[in-house]
Amino acid sequence: MNTAETDGRTYLAKDFKTDLKPIWCPGCGDFGVLQAIHRALAAVGRAPHDIAFVSGIGCSSRIPGYTTAYGFNSVHGRALPIAQGLKLANPDLLVLVAGGDGDGFSIGGGHVPHAIRRNVDLTYIVMDNQIYGLTKGQLSPTSPRGLKTVTSELGSLEEPVNPLLYVLAYGANFVAQGTPADMSGLAEVIEAAIRYPGFSFVNVQSPCVTFGEEHQQVKAHRTAMKPLAAMGHDTTDRLAAMGLAQKYGQELHTGVFYKNPTPPPSLDVQVRERQASMAEKAVPRERIFDAFLQK
Amino acid sequence: MAKTRSIDFASITLRDALDFASLVEEEARERYGELADQMEIHHNPDVARFFSFMRDVEQKHEERLAARRRSLFGDAPRQVTRDMIFDVEAPEYDEARANMTVRHALDAALRSETKAFEFFDAAVAQVKDDEVRKLFTELRKDELEHQELVKKELAKLPPSGPEGYGEEDEPVAL
Repeated sequence: MNTAETDGRTYLAKDFKTDLKPIWCPGCGDFGVLQAIHRALAAVGRAPHDIAFVSGIGCSSRIPGYTTAYGFNSVHGRALPIAQGLKLANPDLLVLVAGGDGDGFSIGGGHVPHAIRRNVDLTYIVMDNQIYGLTKGQLSPTSPRGLKTVTSELGSLEEPVNPLLYVLAYGANFVAQGTPADMSGLAEVIEAAIRYPGFSFVNVQSPCVTFGEEHQQVKAHRTAMKPLAAMGHDTTDRLAAMGLAQKYGQELHTGVFYKNPTPPPSLDVQVRERQASMAEKAVPRERIFDAFLQK
Repeated sequence: MAKTRSIDFASITLRDALDFASLVEEEARERYGELADQMEIHHNPDVARFFSFMRDVEQKHEERLAARRRSLFGDAPRQVTRDMIFDVEAPEYDEARANMTVRHALDAALRSETKAFEFFDAAVAQVKDDEVRKLFTELRKDELEHQELVKKELAKLPPSGPEGYGEEDEPVAL
């Protein structure tokens, strides 16, 4: 999380709820994710005007509209570059990014490794429903092999992207997974991700109630989920985290997979430090402007 | 999944217990309100009406508990907050479906009342303070009465069809 202070006021989850009523299908996992995000924001205690929420395109990308904060429902797959720019321009903002698995790992897939290696201090929440729901149920990058959809009538022949392994392999310093079947646990991991100084990633298995499979629904998650904390998983061991991440699609592990105990400095902090160190030598803006006028 | 965070029922005071109970009703009121909105947006007015009715019922319970709290403890600040409570009496979001019937909605309400009963039943076993035990026993009884009310309403409906939700038109991307 960035270094700006909280304003001392106590915020409740409902302070982050807007008057706009969500138009997701009733039963959608995103309702629980929205609630968990609001609870996490209340726990962190930053004022709504200190928060910016950026998204791409898709059902889940509507989430900034339902959250009282600065919001930017941006371009498909481009939420991460926009959010990084926002954070560098105003490092005091708490920046959240949200989107679906298609937005993050297909259309915007090329941006994820760069956001990780730059390590700009932001929290990326992917609502992974393994399908393109808004466009009525086509294969997405995380759809399981064999899934029958309108674009794969005989079953998908492709292997899915593994979001957890993907971000761990690129060096993300905070990686977690949650499900709306456990709102308390989900709110906790989102809060921990927000508090982590640097790029943090939370994959949320958020079922599509309309086009998703029965075994992917919230009710099924309740019996399938395996909290990592109860398994005694060492969250400081990246290789152990990668071992568990390989079970993506077969087992539903929830909680923190990996948290680097010695967070490296984030890009926004390094930029700020460099700006400060160069400030004395910097040419005043007026003089730069004059130089142009003289020419 | 009903859950609480940072609340120790073994040592909870009557004031905190009253605040807790009132916040449980507040959460349920808000959730029923959200579900009613969802049904209105998805053109299911009968179920929207039922969820609005449930929202009003929860509001009455909430007001009754809040009044009791005020009469006993005035405006003393709250130690218990909404962020400590997860789906104690509120129906879970995944109970809703765009094409659900009033019967489905009543079934969901019954599950929520049952869940709340079980929650208070488990809490009573932990409580040590006599006044708090009396309150939680009373709330547990209320939940049982609510279950009976919902069952009576269910009995008034025509016999149910096959399990699950009916076919519906493909949702329109909004």
